[in-house]
Amino acid sequence: MTTTIPQQPTPADAAAGGTLLQARGVIMRFGGLTAVRNVDLTVNSGEIVGLIGPNGAGKTTFFNCLTGLYVPTEGTVSYRGTVLPPKPHLVTKAGIARTFQNIRLFANMTVLENVLVGRHTRTREGLFSAIVRGPGFHKAERASRERAMELLAFTGLADKAEHLARNLPYGEQRKLEIARALASEPGLLLLDEPTAGMNPQETRATEELVFAIRDQGIAVLVIEHDMRFIFNLCDRVAVLVQGEKLVEGTSEVVQNDERVIAAYLGEPFEGAPADEDGTPAATADDASTTSEQENDR
Amino acid sequence: MHTLPQQLANGLFLGSMYGLIAIGYTMVYGIVQLINFAHGEIFMTGAFGALAVYTNLPSSMSIWAALPLMLVGGAIVSVLIAVGAERFAYRPLRNAPRLAPLITAIGLSLALQQAVFNWYPHATAGKHFPQLPGGPFHIGSVDVQSGDLFLLGAAIVCMIALGVFVRSSRTGRAMQATAQDPDTAKLMGVDTNRIIIIAFAIGGLFAAVAGVAYGLKYGQVKYDIGFQAGLKAFTAAVLGGIGNIYGAMLGGLVLGIAEACATAYIANVPGMEQFGGGAWAQVWAFVLLIVVLLVRPQGLLGERVADRA
Amino acid sequence: MTDLPIAAAEEAVAATATHGNRRTAPFIPLPLTAARATTLAGAVITIASTFMSWTYTTDFPGDLTVSGYPGGLQIMTLIGAILTGVVALGTFGLTGLRWLTPSRTNNGVLLLALATLGTTWYTVIDIAAKLGGLANLDPGGFVAFIGALVLFAGALALPLDRHPEEPADAEYYELGRAEGISAVVRGYAWLREARLHHSELRVPDARKLNRWLQRLVIVVVYALGLKILTFGLATDYSDIFIGYLIVLAVGVWGLSAGGLLKQFQQLTQHNKKFSSTVGVLTAIAYPFAQNNELWANLGASVLIVGTVALGLNIVVGLTGLLDLGYVAFLGVGAYTAALVSGSPFSIWSGTQFPFWAAALAGMGAACVFGVLIGAPTLRLRGDYLAIVTLGFGEIFRIIVRNLDGVSGPKVTNGPNGIAQIPDLSIFGYNLGDTHSVGSFTLGRFANYYLLMLVITIIVVLVFTRAADSRIGRSWIAIREDETAATAMGINGFRVKLVAFALGASLAGLAGTVFAHVTNSVVPDPYVFSGSVPPNSAFLLAAVVLGGMGTVSGPILGAALLYVIPQKLSFLSQYELFAFGIALILIMRFRPEGIIPNRRRQLEFHEDETPAPGNRPMGDDTVPATTAGA
Repeated sequence: MTTTIPQQPTPADAAAGGTLLQARGVIMRFGGLTAVRNVDLTVNSGEIVGLIGPNGAGKTTFFNCLTGLYVPTEGTVSYRGTVLPPKPHLVTKAGIARTFQNIRLFANMTVLENVLVGRHTRTREGLFSAIVRGPGFHKAERASRERAMELLAFTGLADKAEHLARNLPYGEQRKLEIARALASEPGLLLLDEPTAGMNPQETRATEELVFAIRDQGIAVLVIEHDMRFIFNLCDRVAVLVQGEKLVEGTSEVVQNDERVIAAYLGEPFEGAPADEDGTPAATADDASTTSEQENDR
Repeated sequence: MHTLPQQLANGLFLGSMYGLIAIGYTMVYGIVQLINFAHGEIFMTGAFGALAVYTNLPSSMSIWAALPLMLVGGAIVSVLIAVGAERFAYRPLRNAPRLAPLITAIGLSLALQQAVFNWYPHATAGKHFPQLPGGPFHIGSVDVQSGDLFLLGAAIVCMIALGVFVRSSRTGRAMQATAQDPDTAKLMGVDTNRIIIIAFAIGGLFAAVAGVAYGLKYGQVKYDIGFQAGLKAFTAAVLGGIGNIYGAMLGGLVLGIAEACATAYIANVPGMEQFGGGAWAQVWAFVLLIVVLLVRPQGLLGERVADRA
Repeated sequence: MTDLPIAAAEEAVAATATHGNRRTAPFIPLPLTAARATTLAGAVITIASTFMSWTYTTDFPGDLTVSGYPGGLQIMTLIGAILTGVVALGTFGLTGLRWLTPSRTNNGVLLLALATLGTTWYTVIDIAAKLGGLANLDPGGFVAFIGALVLFAGALALPLDRHPEEPADAEYYELGRAEGISAVVRGYAWLREARLHHSELRVPDARKLNRWLQRLVIVVVYALGLKILTFGLATDYSDIFIGYLIVLAVGVWGLSAGGLLKQFQQLTQHNKKFSSTVGVLTAIAYPFAQNNELWANLGASVLIVGTVALGLNIVVGLTGLLDLGYVAFLGVGAYTAALVSGSPFSIWSGTQFPFWAAALAGMGAACVFGVLIGAPTLRLRGDYLAIVTLGFGEIFRIIVRNLDGVSGPKVTNGPNGIAQIPDLSIFGYNLGDTHSVGSFTLGRFANYYLLMLVITIIVVLVFTRAADSRIGRSWIAIREDETAATAMGINGFRVKLVAFALGASLAGLAGTVFAHVTNSVVPDPYVFSGSVPPNSAFLLAAVVLGGMGTVSGPILGAALLYVIPQKLSFLSQYELFAFGIALILIMRFRPEGIIPNRRRQLEFHEDETPAPGNRPMGDDTVPATTAGA
């Protein structure tokens, strides 16, 4: 499965370690409800960053703010130093691709076509060229198909290219969503619960896939409930609770943070920080680590 | 005759009718996100239901005694059709692609209209509708027909009743909850199917009242009145902010007054002399819809709702 | 023959069996041989009956009084019975006829028997009803009645492919409260299991045939199609046409159940260029085969509404936008063409554009209106577009009616419209004149038919090429899931606007020809629903009935919806009512329409991978392996 990902050289790969995504002070309010409160997050190139938090913590809302699906009430999101316009298609064009928590494939299109749709921003051909079908059209179409097939091979779906997306088994639908996102040649891939509903083997395979993607120079930001998955995978983990970023740090730091454990166990949440600048105070507590692990399944 | 108060009054009456019909659109849309294209036809069948009751009553009966019976008859027809449409046409499609219920609604609208055209006795042309006696009354410089007064009174009563129902009854609150988030409402023990049916039924009821009022106002009903009225009422619903019941009424009033004023005054605008009068009223209503969609797509009272992604 | 093992296997399967996900069971329990014998006997009796007299008087349409040869509706019964018998023989394993049911299912036989039964009983009952009583039937009529019944009963006793059995604890939430009543539930479960189930049966790959044989088959099928079409159009009584429709519709269903249609689609898919060329040639042959101005007119009208429906399909079927005022764009094109046609009633009566310029003007004007309507609405939820276009369709008519110099500026002559539009002249070929081509004469409507055919081909090309490209994929992606599509980098608004404007332009193009075919343009046809075909409801019904997102669907849908009311004039009053009911029922039970989109295409691909037992169509080409049913 882990053949090389055919990645076109992206300009900023040279500056490895540089900041890719920077979200500053993102606030999202719906009417009276504040779903995301003043969250800062950075993703550097080559990193896998995890975003965890209990249900309703605002993870997906934050994701939607990053990808332009929602316009944040306050705050900015910038990618490679430029502020992103709050339009999903422009965000994708800039180089951020995403998957969805509840799989959103184009169900009545074939697997190959799904990936070809992902190529949309990286191709130019308009209506006129489609109707006239000059040599340029055929060339571009062929190139798109080749690239899409490479991606399908990368995700292990090549032999199902002509199947309808809705006929794929669940795990393969998740893979296809990733292949589709990769087709837009992103510098940063956002995965929204990529292992939801998967069995341990499938989760394991997804883990490998994410590593393989990272090895191709694509940074990954992943939301997940499965703690083990996140802690195996991520260089850095941020915890979102009630719309606020509680802790951010390496797996060990987060794993051992009392407040995270408290938030996950559903204990009354008193020590909520007014500002999250002073958060990464980590204390080791073995007893609660075990209880936390019990909780995550 | 063409004084400003008179035009405002005309607009008010017209607008009350649009508002009454618009409530059906807006309630159904608020809960199931469906534009019930057949709603205009439900309004029309309400009028015909009332007419059928009237023709079967002894001719000696006074119109004042007949009116409640007509309202009941029209309401029964409209509510049955609205609820039946929900149960048998829309409900099976609740998880279908977005286009499917819309096309079904179009089909239902055609079928209802043609059913009246083909099978209601002699309905291929306009049918005479009884008139309320008395009037026109002169209030200040304004002439008012008794049918108009009935319309205004009915609209006010219906709105207040609906407001009280939604605010203070258990079902009304469940309705608001379902409109906010159907899934959560379901988890909280709200029978969403029942709520949806009630929304359709209230819409049908109000449409029937509007249908009777239409007949009383114009003295004639025809199989195709639902199309125009439905279009206008939907415009009113969008104008007020679709999903918002007070918005529907407000939108109706704004649309009615705008239409009345456009009919009367557009011709006075230099360069627009030829675009006034009743012939262009529809066009101006449509232009208003487009302008609203451009400038304030969420409508006058609407809020921007988050997409439940 | 090599086929024998299956026949033996079938024999063993006999009465009731479930293997894999294929469940075969007869409706009437009877030994297999008895069932087969009954079927064949029924076919023979029915065939024989058509050579007898069915009624005493010649009052009934088509002369059914003659003994010795069939006439009128008897021909329908005869065709149905022969077809059933022959297909039955093939299904039962008679060498040389086996290719008629490639999937080896008896369902085809049952459906063909149903077609025969339908048309025969319709005839007999129609005779009794029209002439007043059973006394008007000759013995032949009774023989036919019984023969068809025997045929159908025999077919019911054959092992049929049925819907898989429901699990014992299946839930039928669609029954609502009636779910508590066990009789209702059992009846409902029985009805569900009674459904025929043959769409997934595997057929031998027709593409393994000799290339030339494949092409021959395509030519023969198209020629046969043209013959069947002209035969139907030539029926002179609506009674006969109904019989024809029954045999045709149920018969085609039966043949497709047997898998023939699937194989034919494999062939056309495999020989794409060839089959489309043959298709075009067949269409060109239509006015020559008919040589009748009435039918040429019918053909031209069908092509106009079909083309417009195809344009609408880009908007509705591919992009998933509901456009309810589509006919207004046809009107914009027609009025534009009329204004520059040189008609004395046009305000620019002096100007006469050549056709290409008029067509471009019509397209351009429609496109401008499309953008004007689309730009404010396409940013919003899709539902708004539906109602705005509905409004626009209405407003267009009102404006055109008002621009008469009295209620508004004088542009369109109001309700009187623009009359006396001169005929087109292209490269000196005046389409209004009669021309001779060899021994054929082409009248005015035949000329316009051919011009319209060119336009249809252009629109088909635009549709197919656009659909299979970056922009077309983005349309379909938007239709499937707009949020996901924008997250994939598609500018939803722009792409939708392109689709909407393209749809409008194509309607405008068809409108320019429409204006010339009808000689005049008036506001009345451009309504949402009306009694004359090019109205928005008609177009929508054509698209939905034919199959959203397909090329042939809307054209077929438009043809059916146009021709059937023409031939069955007594229906015309209920036409719109029927449209409405049809829209509801199609959405409920067969949302993909007559011609399903993509799915079928896909079944071919899925056939390719796991098909060890593909058997070629002919019996004599390649040493055949057995087809594992």
